[in-house]
Formats: sequence, C-alpha cells, structure tokens
Amino acid sequence: MPPIIANLLKFAFIGLMYLFLWLVSRSIGSHLGGDAGVPVLARRAGGKVAIITSPTQAGVVAEIRGSLVMGRSDEADLVLEDSYASGFHLRFTFEDDQLQVQDLGTTNGTYVNGRRITSSTLLSKGDTVQVGKTIMEVQ
Amino acid sequence: MNRIAEASLILGSAVLAALGVAIANLSSGGSVDAQVALTFVSFVVAWGGLWVTVRRLTPGANPYLLPLAAILSAVGITEVYRLNPSLGSLQRWWLIAAAALGSLTILWLRDGTAVLRRYRYLLLLGGVLLLMAPLLPGSWPLGGVTVNGSRLWLRLNLWGDSSFQFQPGEVGKLALVVFFASYLAERRQALMQVHRKVANLELPEPRQLMPLVVAWLASLIVMVYQRDLGASLLLFAVFMAMLYMATGQGVFPLAGVGLFGIGTFGAFQAFSHVQRRYNAWIAPFDDFEGAGYQIAQSLFAMGSGSIAGSGIGLGRPDLIPSAATDFIFAAIAEETGFVGAVGVLVGFALLVAAGFGIAVRSRDPFRKLLAAGITTVIGVQAVIIIGGVTRLLPLTGITLPFMSYGGSSLLSNTVALSILLVISQEEHR
Repeated sequence: MPPIIANLLKFAFIGLMYLFLWLVSRSIGSHLGGDAGVPVLARRAGGKVAIITSPTQAGVVAEIRGSLVMGRSDEADLVLEDSYASGFHLRFTFEDDQLQVQDLGTTNGTYVNGRRITSSTLLSKGDTVQVGKTIMEVQ
Repeated sequence: MNRIAEASLILGSAVLAALGVAIANLSSGGSVDAQVALTFVSFVVAWGGLWVTVRRLTPGANPYLLPLAAILSAVGITEVYRLNPSLGSLQRWWLIAAAALGSLTILWLRDGTAVLRRYRYLLLLGGVLLLMAPLLPGSWPLGGVTVNGSRLWLRLNLWGDSSFQFQPGEVGKLALVVFFASYLAERRQALMQVHRKVANLELPEPRQLMPLVVAWLASLIVMVYQRDLGASLLLFAVFMAMLYMATGQGVFPLAGVGLFGIGTFGAFQAFSHVQRRYNAWIAPFDDFEGAGYQIAQSLFAMGSGSIAGSGIGLGRPDLIPSAATDFIFAAIAEETGFVGAVGVLVGFALLVAAGFGIAVRSRDPFRKLLAAGITTVIGVQAVIIIGGVTRLLPLTGITLPFMSYGGSSLLSNTVALSILLVISQEEHR
C-alpha cells in the first residue's frame, strides 16, 4: 500500500473516531449538570438569586440553570435554614433567558415584591423574593 | 439526543470497526474481504440488537452509554483483529454473546433494580465463591488453571480434551458491587451517625463494618492466593470509593489508603512476584530481558507511535507480550499515536461522566450507589491498566473494559452497562 493512502486511511480512522466523540460530547454536556431537557445554549447563562436577609445564609448566591428547588428538606437543591420554609418551598426556573419562580403549594407562601404569588411568576432584576424570614434579590 | 442520533452513532461505530479491519487487511497486503463485512454485521447485530432492546424495554434510558461502549469496542476490536485475526473473529462472537446477555439482564431487570436488593447475601456468597473458584484443584472436572503465574481461570472439562475456560472473578466483582450498594444503602445512616469516640477520632461502630472487613479479606485472599494484584486493587479501590460515597466521610478513604499501604508493604516483603513488579515499574530497563521486557516494549511502542501513530497494521505492537489483552492500549497508542490514545481516554472519560451523571440524578440511595459503584469499576479498571502500560502506576494485569480481547471481561462489563441503563430508566419515570 502506498504511504499516502496508508496515511489517508489512518487519518480517516482517527477522524471518524473524533467525529463520533465530538458528537457525543456536544450533547452530553446538557445531560450532566441537572435537567436533561435543557438545551445547551440556554445553559451558558443563568439567573442569579442572592440571599440578602437571613439569620444564617445572607450572602449565599444561587445561579439558576434549568431549575432549582429551595426548601428546608435535605433533598432540596438549596437547603433553606428557615423554620418558616416548607420542605420543598419554591422552584426557580431559567428558560429562554427568563427567570421564573413558582410556589410549591406551601403553607406560608412565597412573596414577590411583597405580594403573595399563586402561579408561576416572571422575575426581573431587582425583584425580591421572600420565604419566611429569608429575603432574596434577583441579580 | 434523540433515537435517530443514537442509532446513527451505533451505526457509526460499526462503520469504524469495519474501516479499521479493512485498513488492517490492506496494510498486511490483503484486501477488503469477508472479515470486513462480518465485523460490520456483528457490530450491527450486537450493539444494534442491544440498542433495540433498550429502546423497547427501557425507553427512558441514558442515550450515551451504548454509543460510547460501542465506539470503544470498535477501536478495540480493530486492534485485536490487527494483532491476531483469529482472536478478532472470536471477539466478534463474544461481542454478540455479551449483547445477548446484556439484553437478558435488561429483560430481567426492566421493572427495576430493586430485585437485586432481595438477593443481597446470596450475591455476597456468590461473589466470594466466584472469586475463590479458581483455587479449586486443577484435576477436578471444574478446576482452576494457572496462567502467567496468576490463578484466575476456571476450566470446565467437557468430554475428551475439549474444555471451556473463563474468569469467574469478572462476574464475582460485579456481584460484590451490587452487594455493597445494597448493604451501604441500608446502613449508611448508621455508619454516619453511630460513632465510637477513640482519642478525638470518631470511628464507625465496629459491628457495622463487619461485612466490609469480610470483603477486604476477600480482596487480600485474591491477591495472595491468586496472585492477581489488579483485581485485588480494583476491588479494594471500589469498596473504599463506595464507602466514601455512601457516607461522605473522609476518614474512609484515609483509612483505606492506610490499609492499602500496610497491605502493599506486607505483600512487598512477603512475595517475590510483588517485588519483581515493583522493580519492573521503577527500572524496566535494568532487567530488560526479564521482568522489565513487557513494560519496556510497551514504552517503545508508544514512543514509536509518536503524535499520529504508525497507522493500523504498520507498527510492531506484536512485539509486546499479551498486546491484545492487557496491553491493548499500548498497541492502540502505537498505531494511532498520541491522538488516538487521547481519543480512547476521552471515550472512557465520557463513559464515566455519563455513569456518574446517572448516579447524581438517582434519588434512591441503592440505585445511586449501584450506579456510582459500577461506574467506578469501569473507570478504575481503565485507570489501573492504562496507568500500568504507560508506567504511571506499577503494572497489574487487568483488562481494559470493552477494548481488550477477552470474553469474560466483555460479558461482565456489558452486563454492568445494562444495569446502569436500567438505573437511568428508573430515574426517568
């Protein structure tokens, strides 16, 4: 076999292998972090929510990519140290550059800019979200 | 990734395997013959068949595991075929058998992996017995065989001279991982919360650790009596990793490293074969004709492969002893070069990442630990043998999952992969 063909075949083999790995790794990224269905592009940016008032957690910043559940339960994505919070209290979702918050049917409710919310609510920069004694600000 | 993308990736791996076999043929002066077609067909039948089973029975399963395992096995079978065409054609049958066994595993577990928890102690017993089985006297109808100084093989003597050999330890390891996952899932609270204070150190209640001590002893016995350092190291590393993942307490890996250090030092003092391994690792060229020969040839192979490799069929990886099994990575690194070797590493990294992704997403502790344990088994095997052939770690013979020639290894790793697929389906519900 002439060397040029040998080289071509060699690079075809390696190239096909890399093409394959590239295809897998391109779509696996979205599968590793959190929600499987979140498109890769939307994951580059995220909505930021900072806890500004809390007995123990002031200064904690959560970056929401896909969705994030806060609550008192250990199973929540961000555990709130607040005795007024429910086990699973609220869910933030970040999709299509929009940050939304949803109350998960809690006893004490979730307040956006001082108003209790009943359905999924769109948030913008500077809005405050209150859960029990914990106040968060959208950044 | 949708089904069509997944199917095309699996088809792509069949194309890659066929291309590899064709290149190997052309390089040795042959032509594109039936072997190429047979490789393509067996890939489509094996991985395609497993894919159809997965999509029918567990439609929510992780879509990355199968294509990644398929591509690794495509690169592996290319090199196995190039080194020894008859082993390559045997490996095709093993591949189909492995896919069939994987499909049966999925069929059995399609309603969930919880059934495995019920047979926990049976699995522990079975796992230990399988690990010990090669110690049976060789003259028995079902007896152990010593190969290259290690006693890992079990030979089933059929009639006359015909016999069938396999490594029961490969399946034994998997059974032990399932046992550990279910044991730790149940006891992790106790392991975390019940302590004995000994001089400022919080240690777990000794009684809780009994089964773990049994497992540690089992791995020591494997090392001492079967002279299989790789399997022993693998078992031990996986146990410690699972203990750490179950409890989140750093004392376990630390104690593990300590125990491992003591065990290694003791083994070094007591056994000449451990000393030979150590010397071959530190100074392979001092005993080039003897103990260092294999690792030295492996280094020559990778060195002459350089950046882009010699091309498949154009290097001399056949100079490395057992190139098709333990040293497959060195053979691939010679013929596809640094670039190809990095590709293999990326493939394993993605496979392990997908496996841990399943573990992270699992809500049930048993499934979480089982997924993490299986992933650790695959990852640690790859680290031990790739580290061994590149002289990063002392060489301990073990197969490279999905790539090395070997039926037992391929069967048990495919079953492990199938269990991972079922776990990912359970989280999807």
